[in-house]
Amino acid sequence: MKKIDFHTLGPLIALIALIVLGTLLNSAFLAPANITNVLARSAFIGLIAVGMTFVITAGGLDLSVGSMAAFLAGLAIIAMNALAPSLGVHWGTILIGMGVAILGGLAAGYLNGALITKARIEPFIVTLGTMGIFRSLITWLADGGTLSLDSGLRTLYRPVYYGGIGWLTWPILCFAAVAIAGEWSMRHSRFGRHVEAIGSNDRVARYSAIDVNRVRLMTYVLLGMLVGLAVVLYVPRLGSASGSTGVLWELEAIAAVIIGGTALKGGRGRVWGTVMGVLILSLIDNILNLANLVSPYLNGAIQGVIIVLAVVLQREKHAASER
Amino acid sequence: MKRRSLMQGGALAAVLAMTGGVAVAQEAEKKIIGVAIPSATHGFMGGLNWHAQDTIKRLGAAYPNLEFVLSTAGNSAKQVNDIEDMMATRNIDALVVLPFESEPLTAPIKAVKEAGKFVTVVDRGLSEEGIEDLYVAGDNTAFGRVAGEYFKANLKPGAKIVVLRGIPTTLDNERVEAFQKALDGSQIEILDMQHGNWNRDDAFNVMQDYLSKYPQIDAVWAADDDMAIGVMEAIAAAKRQDEMWVIGGAGMKDIVKRIMDGDKQLPVDVTYPPALISSALEMTALHFVSNAPMTGRFIIGSQLITPENAAKFYYPDSPF
Amino acid sequence: MSVLALDNVSKSFGPVTVLHGIDIALEPGEVHALIGENGAGKSTIMKLLGGFLDPTEGQVLLDGKPVRFASGPDAEAQGIVVIHQEFNLARDLSVAANVFLGREPGGWRLDHKAMQEATAALLRRLDSPISPDALVGDLSVPDRQMVEIAKALSRNARVLIMDEPSAVLTHREVGALYDQILRLREQGVAILYCSHRLDEVAHLADRITVLRDGRVVRRAARGELTQDGMASAMVGRELQDFYPPKGQPSGDIALELRGLSVPGRVHDISLTLHRGEVLGIAGLVGSGRTELAEGIAGLRSSSGEIRIDGQPATIRSARDGFAHGLAYLTEDRKEAGLLLEKPLRENLTLAALERFGSWRIDASAEDAALDRATQDFDIRAPRRDMPAGKLSGGNQQKLLLAKTMLTEPRILIIDEPTRGIDVGTKSQIYAFIRQLATQGLSVIVISSEMPEVIGLADRVLVMREGRLAGELQGAALTEDNIVRLAMGVGEAA
Repeated sequence: MKKIDFHTLGPLIALIALIVLGTLLNSAFLAPANITNVLARSAFIGLIAVGMTFVITAGGLDLSVGSMAAFLAGLAIIAMNALAPSLGVHWGTILIGMGVAILGGLAAGYLNGALITKARIEPFIVTLGTMGIFRSLITWLADGGTLSLDSGLRTLYRPVYYGGIGWLTWPILCFAAVAIAGEWSMRHSRFGRHVEAIGSNDRVARYSAIDVNRVRLMTYVLLGMLVGLAVVLYVPRLGSASGSTGVLWELEAIAAVIIGGTALKGGRGRVWGTVMGVLILSLIDNILNLANLVSPYLNGAIQGVIIVLAVVLQREKHAASER
Repeated sequence: MKRRSLMQGGALAAVLAMTGGVAVAQEAEKKIIGVAIPSATHGFMGGLNWHAQDTIKRLGAAYPNLEFVLSTAGNSAKQVNDIEDMMATRNIDALVVLPFESEPLTAPIKAVKEAGKFVTVVDRGLSEEGIEDLYVAGDNTAFGRVAGEYFKANLKPGAKIVVLRGIPTTLDNERVEAFQKALDGSQIEILDMQHGNWNRDDAFNVMQDYLSKYPQIDAVWAADDDMAIGVMEAIAAAKRQDEMWVIGGAGMKDIVKRIMDGDKQLPVDVTYPPALISSALEMTALHFVSNAPMTGRFIIGSQLITPENAAKFYYPDSPF
Repeated sequence: MSVLALDNVSKSFGPVTVLHGIDIALEPGEVHALIGENGAGKSTIMKLLGGFLDPTEGQVLLDGKPVRFASGPDAEAQGIVVIHQEFNLARDLSVAANVFLGREPGGWRLDHKAMQEATAALLRRLDSPISPDALVGDLSVPDRQMVEIAKALSRNARVLIMDEPSAVLTHREVGALYDQILRLREQGVAILYCSHRLDEVAHLADRITVLRDGRVVRRAARGELTQDGMASAMVGRELQDFYPPKGQPSGDIALELRGLSVPGRVHDISLTLHRGEVLGIAGLVGSGRTELAEGIAGLRSSSGEIRIDGQPATIRSARDGFAHGLAYLTEDRKEAGLLLEKPLRENLTLAALERFGSWRIDASAEDAALDRATQDFDIRAPRRDMPAGKLSGGNQQKLLLAKTMLTEPRILIIDEPTRGIDVGTKSQIYAFIRQLATQGLSVIVISSEMPEVIGLADRVLVMREGRLAGELQGAALTEDNIVRLAMGVGEAA
């Protein structure tokens, strides 16, 4: 391949530019602690965004993931707190909590997917609805306040976020593993090929004997489980969940997917690009905090400009290569 | 126990003493009180919602002739709609409102007042004076000042601190300005002020970046108890607990408990109690069930919670 | 003098000339019928007259003077209105809004009342009960046709060009349509009427022009041609010898249908397909051929019995079909056949991915399959990694054939195997199909091109209005007989 594929390289170039910028602005930027922080923080959105890549590539959309994360975190905390007196403070309780989060994610993803494929409702509408439902449920479960994990369990559970192998903490390792598995599945597995085919033209997929509904449903279930996994890593960080947990995560995840070069209309998935997109978004935040470049009031504007710019640049290159 | 929430404001004590005796259920016509508050999107508002519901339940039982209509709104436009609906369909006699934002709510609330209703405004002032009958608020200036004074008294000159700000609003500006003013002349250096949006996760991220950026931080003004929790996690993760202490704000029960237990990292807290909605509701109720004039401005000052007085501020039942 | 005419017009698309020296003149107050087989050049003539295409040679005359329309709307502004087979209606707007779309009365404010009244008057003239307020999307297909006609009327057409206007109408509605056409004729409108229904041509037309292979082969005035005469004039050509020799199907029955129906489209079809046989299915567009094929292949819900190799088979999806060794190759290459943005390799293996690894797709095996397919089916692609949409139509069709063959079907249904393909590739595809049959596959070929079904198939079934109209074989397999069965003009001779 002599031609440069800007869809793949564009986000990487942007990422490298940001890293150079960050290093120039503040020497602390490249310190291992800062790198660990940024990567670990990216893990929640990152896990979700990898799942979102599959959903979007198959021509779908999921707006409910942020609320779903808050809801699952609440469920997991309630489950663990309820079991703590009988089971005691040990890993069994925490494993059950993790199971609740992941199985809950599976069920929530199945609910979204079933409404979309079986009841044939637009993904935007279905997930807009479940977004409101999950958000209300967590607020209700927390009684408007905050659900906090039993302090004994917290201490035990804490290393899942903060611990790891050296500076590679568990969230970073998890994110890396899921990203590699996601990239592999998109490129080399039948599932990934089917996802791309459906997003590209679902009629062609149906005529090619692909079970379109099943594959679509699977993308939502996969995303739900990854949201559950993100929750497993999120809960030990602050040990709490509230109505304000995971607000706007869905938009960050979608933005990361699009920055990464996946087409919003579906048909072309780039898991590596998504990883780049997630890191780009995290780095922007980090650099703005580290550098005092502009008034903090303008942080949102800078992010917005970069998101739009990233996508516009891809378009330009793409249009040029068409000619 | 609930009475204590009223006691907190010095100004209120006198009111209670005056009216406490008459506050018995009276044979009177049915009065409807509309309550419009922001929805529980973060810890403080969650607490405020809880106190509102709890107080309504209690007052409804104590005064059978009072009926309350509660609505919560996630944005200004919804709150305006709620208020208009209350006027149109429930024919309320009084409105207790915590304006989501000052500007957009001023005209609708003024319209309620002009229709001859009793209006109680809570916490956030309207942009025009003299509309409300009763104003019950926390003191944002005092909130910042009390914290600032503690920093000044407990840090050496040349000490370095960082600040986490809330959601960009007038209220946040008032607090921060008062805080900075209180530090004047202390030679304490504010290294940085970024927005943590009164959110644990955001505060965690901002604090992590502060810790990467500044090798020396002596204290943190987190300005909110939710943010304080995120901040302390970030500090713990960086293993710099011994280096700095943290002051939050509001009076969240977990934080108050830690102060009670003498946590070194959390020496004190500054109150900005969500229970002020209870005071507003109680006083509005008294307007209808007693003969005492219930008008004026009641500012509930911000106090310092210390290990010595913490027990007084501890409500284990509240979700906040 | 004629209102609108083509004067010695030829039209080429690239190297392909589709019209040769056409003269046709539309007179005011006359219904002029244009008939011919699919591909004879009728639609090109309509597009030239309607301002959608420019002639390569010769000229269009309006009121005797040469004219060059900038666009369809430009022609429409000069009183030439085309009613297309695919309706140009906005489904989400009301009938009245559609009739006046683009030239709404009133200034910046819509004058709903005027639009509704005018539309209601037009619909009354057409004897149609449609409400001007109804949404077009809620109307039945014939009602939409009526709206199209009302829209044309509202434009004070001097020339009305109608493409198969009755194809979608019921008997009663056809009556109203005829009345309206006759009324317009009295008002001095020139009408060009394209139709496959020879009975209505005989009934309506004052003048008939017959096209074949882009040439005018016959002109006649009312009463000069019988329906039989029209059919013969349309067909009368010799079959070319680029069809491979026919085969000898075995007696084994590979596929048997008993009373297969697709709700609303196909009614009670029973047929048998033998091993090694090429079975043609002919019929007009819209006669239910594609729906029948999709019903068999599990792409549409159907009722009735399907037996494969004598065993009853339940086929509810394309996947079930493949499992029974039955594959359907769609007529809609671009929308249902290939992923146009994706490279050749991914298209080739899409339907048979499970043959390339259980979880992991073996990319080198895919590449090898693509090598084999390009060789076996002579797919000519400048680059292997180019998107399928950039291939020529013929190569796309060969890729689609290769893709379908990867599923190793024993029964293959090919819908319009050579649509939009140049002559050279056509004969290649015919050779592939015959070769597959010789290898023992059973093939059904659906085609609108009669020479194709006759040249290729061992036996031909003709469909009409969702039913089998008859079966032709051997000496009886002539275009004339197919046309008669397809159009319901008497018994096959």
